[in-house]
Amino acid sequence: MIQEDVICSFCGCLCDDITAEVEAGAVSRVRHACRLGASKMMGHDRIKGPMIREDGTLVEASYQEAYDRAAQILLAARRPLLYGWASTVCEAQEKGVLLAEEVGGVMDSTATVCHGPSVIGIEEKGLASSTLGQVKNRADTIVFWGCNPAEAHPRHSLRYSSNVVGRFTPLGRAGRKIVVVDIRETRTSKNADKLVLIEPGSDYEVISALRMLVSGKAVIPERVGGVDKADLVALAEILKRAKFGAFFFGLGITHSRGRYKNVDNALSLVAELNSYTKFVVMPMRGHYNVAGIGQVLAWSSGFPMSVDFARGMPYFNPGETAACDLLARQDADAALIIAADPASNFPRSTVQALARIPVIQIDPYENPTTLLSKVVIPSAIAGIEAAGTAYRMDGLALRMKKLIDSPYPSDEEIIGQILESVKRQREMSAGGAAR
Amino acid sequence: MRTISIKPLRAFEVSVEAEVISPDRLAALTFGQIRALEVWLGNRKRKLSDLFRVEGDEAPASPAETLVRLEGDFSRVKRIAEGMTAGTVEVLGGAGMHAGNGMKGGQLSIQGYADDWLGREMRGGKIIVAGSAGNYVGAGYRGEKCGMRGGEIEISGSAGAYLGEHMCGGSIRVSGDAGDFPGAANQGGTIYIGGSTYLPGAEMTKGTITVGGNARVLPGYQKADVVTIEGREYQKYLGDLVEKGTGELLVAAS
Amino acid sequence: MIVKGGTVYDPANGIFGEEMDICIEGGRITEKAAGEEIDAKGLLVMPGGVDAHSHIAGKKVNTGRIMSPGDSRSGVEPRTAVCRPSTGYTVPNCYAMGYRYARMGYTTVFEAATPIIDARHTHEELKEIPILDKGALTLFGNNWEVMECVHDRDIPKLAAYVAWGLQAARGYGVKIVNPGGGEAWGFGTNVKGVHDPVPNFDVTPAEIIRGLAQANEMLRLPHSIHLHFNNLGKPGNYSTALETLELLKDIKPSRRRQVVHVAHMQFSSYGGTSWKDFESRAPDIADYFNKSSHATMDMGQVIFGNATTMTADAPLEYANARIAHAKWSNYDIELEESSGVVPWVYGRKMLVNDVQWAIGLELALLTKDPWKVLLTTDHPNGGPFVNYPEVITLLMSRPKREAEIATQHEMAPKRSTIATIDREMDWGEVAVMTRAAPARVLGLAEKGHLGPGADADITIYDLKPNEVDPSVDHALVKKALAAAKYTIKGGAVVAKEGEILQAPLGRTYWVQAEVPAADAQRLMVDLQEKFDRYYSIQLSNYMVQDAYVANPVVIRPPAREAAKEVA
Repeated sequence: MIQEDVICSFCGCLCDDITAEVEAGAVSRVRHACRLGASKMMGHDRIKGPMIREDGTLVEASYQEAYDRAAQILLAARRPLLYGWASTVCEAQEKGVLLAEEVGGVMDSTATVCHGPSVIGIEEKGLASSTLGQVKNRADTIVFWGCNPAEAHPRHSLRYSSNVVGRFTPLGRAGRKIVVVDIRETRTSKNADKLVLIEPGSDYEVISALRMLVSGKAVIPERVGGVDKADLVALAEILKRAKFGAFFFGLGITHSRGRYKNVDNALSLVAELNSYTKFVVMPMRGHYNVAGIGQVLAWSSGFPMSVDFARGMPYFNPGETAACDLLARQDADAALIIAADPASNFPRSTVQALARIPVIQIDPYENPTTLLSKVVIPSAIAGIEAAGTAYRMDGLALRMKKLIDSPYPSDEEIIGQILESVKRQREMSAGGAAR
Repeated sequence: MRTISIKPLRAFEVSVEAEVISPDRLAALTFGQIRALEVWLGNRKRKLSDLFRVEGDEAPASPAETLVRLEGDFSRVKRIAEGMTAGTVEVLGGAGMHAGNGMKGGQLSIQGYADDWLGREMRGGKIIVAGSAGNYVGAGYRGEKCGMRGGEIEISGSAGAYLGEHMCGGSIRVSGDAGDFPGAANQGGTIYIGGSTYLPGAEMTKGTITVGGNARVLPGYQKADVVTIEGREYQKYLGDLVEKGTGELLVAAS
Repeated sequence: MIVKGGTVYDPANGIFGEEMDICIEGGRITEKAAGEEIDAKGLLVMPGGVDAHSHIAGKKVNTGRIMSPGDSRSGVEPRTAVCRPSTGYTVPNCYAMGYRYARMGYTTVFEAATPIIDARHTHEELKEIPILDKGALTLFGNNWEVMECVHDRDIPKLAAYVAWGLQAARGYGVKIVNPGGGEAWGFGTNVKGVHDPVPNFDVTPAEIIRGLAQANEMLRLPHSIHLHFNNLGKPGNYSTALETLELLKDIKPSRRRQVVHVAHMQFSSYGGTSWKDFESRAPDIADYFNKSSHATMDMGQVIFGNATTMTADAPLEYANARIAHAKWSNYDIELEESSGVVPWVYGRKMLVNDVQWAIGLELALLTKDPWKVLLTTDHPNGGPFVNYPEVITLLMSRPKREAEIATQHEMAPKRSTIATIDREMDWGEVAVMTRAAPARVLGLAEKGHLGPGADADITIYDLKPNEVDPSVDHALVKKALAAAKYTIKGGAVVAKEGEILQAPLGRTYWVQAEVPAADAQRLMVDLQEKFDRYYSIQLSNYMVQDAYVANPVVIRPPAREAAKEVA
């Protein structure tokens, strides 16, 4: 059976033109997806069933046993961390918020190791942005700063940016100027019209210099961040001459020295460019629904990430309430990890902290985080075996389809069951020790 | 002078929030009342006496006449002296995050290390740290234009990044080095850094930042004259021009 | 349930302060009922409040939250057995929206502006807003298909698109914001007036507005077009307002209602030529409304303090941000719209803000017929909705207005007529502006009144209209309006004396209009092309699915024969 217009569940491009062939209850073939997406959609070895670690070894358990054990762990914790969320659907994320409220935990997403600094930058400056279709139809100048979509978002240029043809961009790539700013050559820069190489850690200064030049203040040093003034002047000209400019940025800015300051400076640069021409800016979100968890947390709690429900009211302070902050300070005493793999992506010291506390993992697949987990609960794959909402990197919401039936419960169901178990166990011990 | 001594009963499993530890909150209360005050151990609401021993002078007093002495490990106790308006808080070791949050008066002294967000959104009073301090000393809340508006912070050691971010008034003095981006987005106030730092005064519009060691200076800062202060020469810069700023940045010339 | 002995104001049924019982059965008002009795003896009883224009859900609102953590950290209320945590003041979280409206005695609130492609997000948030019945108006004024149909003068196809767009967005009505300007903003410009052609599309805002009005009436939609004028927020823009209103005079409504509802009229009633000589032209506007019958408006009242401006008028938001050197968010939406969000402050001593404050009140007080003026603050653009009691008491009390003016900039009284207005509204007029008229303007037959068959949405306020003089005791009145004694929604007591007792999920109203198959087919040819060539998502993934509207009320206007125009 062939399903059309399937939505890929890998990266923030959220390509919705995928064709999937389903045979014998599995995805047998995928068309139009990039190799990253296809690989995800075709799937690989799954975790077979729930497991609970007894005496160091993971032992098979029933789903209910796993839910109850997870609930027990969360109830006993004084500062449980509920982390991940970026690779599952909003319906599961919403249940997650309910669970975090119920257990007085901290809810954070993978933005913490990705575009968390961008969120902080947005809190300083706002975000002058658009949907990707605006870039497709209008952008004649595109800047990729500190990101490498050719490798991380393979179909971005084809569907949305450099190469695509739109209403006011009938020449496609030929009618566009593509600029890459990075600390080294990349696959993306090989296909750009201009590569501006900057010294590592100098993004902030280079952006400040550009802001000066854009607003007509020519008094800057002869070299900034390893870039000659003449090249900076030329770059500023390109930006100001755009009819419609789009500025995409990634971990090259958010995770180099300066972090959120780099982003907030870039946001100001784009805002100021709007005095001269039309310009939009967009973070290249990594996971397919990291934008979604930001939206869900914001409408539920007022804050898009790193929300602490310990005292019954949402409290937000990245640097204090982000997942890495808690773990680095050994301030989390339990963790529920869903749709993420912190053991692979977090700084070493925080992974060590994770190893010292009880961890509940909810994921279709085994990964290094499984090695740390006390309770492992395999879930249905969102976007293949469970439907639900995801938000693309530009903020548009799409509904992921369910392509095949699955014996695995969805993330939404699992979180819901853990929540029920928490409430049940709390009621049962209501006569006993107060919380 | 009423002295109230508070000691942790044990090492805390997770961080504690104890914004009640402030002369304003404690001065007029009996020990019985103090012990019954609410503190939070993560998501557990506790009585102060569940976590701390309280000793000292019994008789209620005014906040101005009250000294709260914190002995032992307060490094994981947050929000000490929050909103304080008068009196003294002495921390004999280190203090957890948000010590002196929103302080309006009185004095907070910390012998050891002051964790992040010391004196956040401070309005008045004085904070003295004999050791070093973390990130966001005297800073504001995310996305808000004005953080610290008044008061003084003195740190004998070094300070972390984002010192005095969004400062609108008051003064901060760090004898040692300061981390990246001190005085970011400032609209007023005075910062003195005895040691070295990196990219001070990013987007500053008004205020003064003085650096006794080295500093990497932003392209938005224009060289002005060389000035002498207390026998030392400083190169003066004006900026941050990206924001049409008229702030002053003084960096030691030698 | 029976609400006994209240002093009832039900203007839609001609009831102004009568002592009577209200009977409820099965969630509706009935002639007779048994069961629980609520003692409302002598107390002010009205239908549940209806807010016809508020920004409560969707991308703009959430962007406002995300960019202002400082706002979210104010107004924080902890979780209770019934309530989830509340946060925020100008941009409350979803739960606070529901609880706070309900506490004030409001039971129906409509989201003012939703782009079609982004409607899924709006519905995700709407379902999180507890208690209230809701609907969302759908944006059409900068849409490529709309402009092309208007250009081709193909109103039947335009009507087919409007019907399709409402289905795609599960929307309730046609919203138009700065028509043409949103498209021009796609390349960073704006339109200067209603006859200024839209770049690349060769249509004018006037044509867009008239075309959509005609389509609206062809479809017999319950609501009229809902219009945010061009040149909003600019000194001197009252002339654009009058010019635009004149454009629609000859169009016949397909139902017994207005042909156009004007959004937040305050922002379009400006005189002067710059901010320096800025002054009110509310008297001219009110005069027009007094003499005409095809339009209604809502106030868009300014409240001093924090606000968040959020609107599909993106060029306006960019201008706002530059004036105030404020943080600025912008979101242009392919083929459809633009929008902007800028946090704001209205200062009591700022002359311009004082005049804006005066204008909203002038509009209400100088327009004779309260059925033409709905009470809003264009939440959160003029100020948060929790301040409606403030607005009501300003309308009811001249002494209160005088006291306020005394705290303002000394030049303010010269720039408007507010200081000279004696009129004080009474409870009947207030009930019209906050209940009966919004329901009628929106075309909600079971809302805004207490006749048999109406939804049992009833508010009982803790004040006795026969004993309290709102002119003198305005502080008391404001307090009573801020926390209803009882808020009854669908026959259940949801709020009592400021406490939320239960938080059921409300319903979402949307409109499903039928069009002749031939028109629909012609439309699909256009849409197929647009999705093939221009949209960045597939047509099959575009429309809002059933899963997003769990508790719908679907309004189906009567169908028409093919190609029969109404006006």
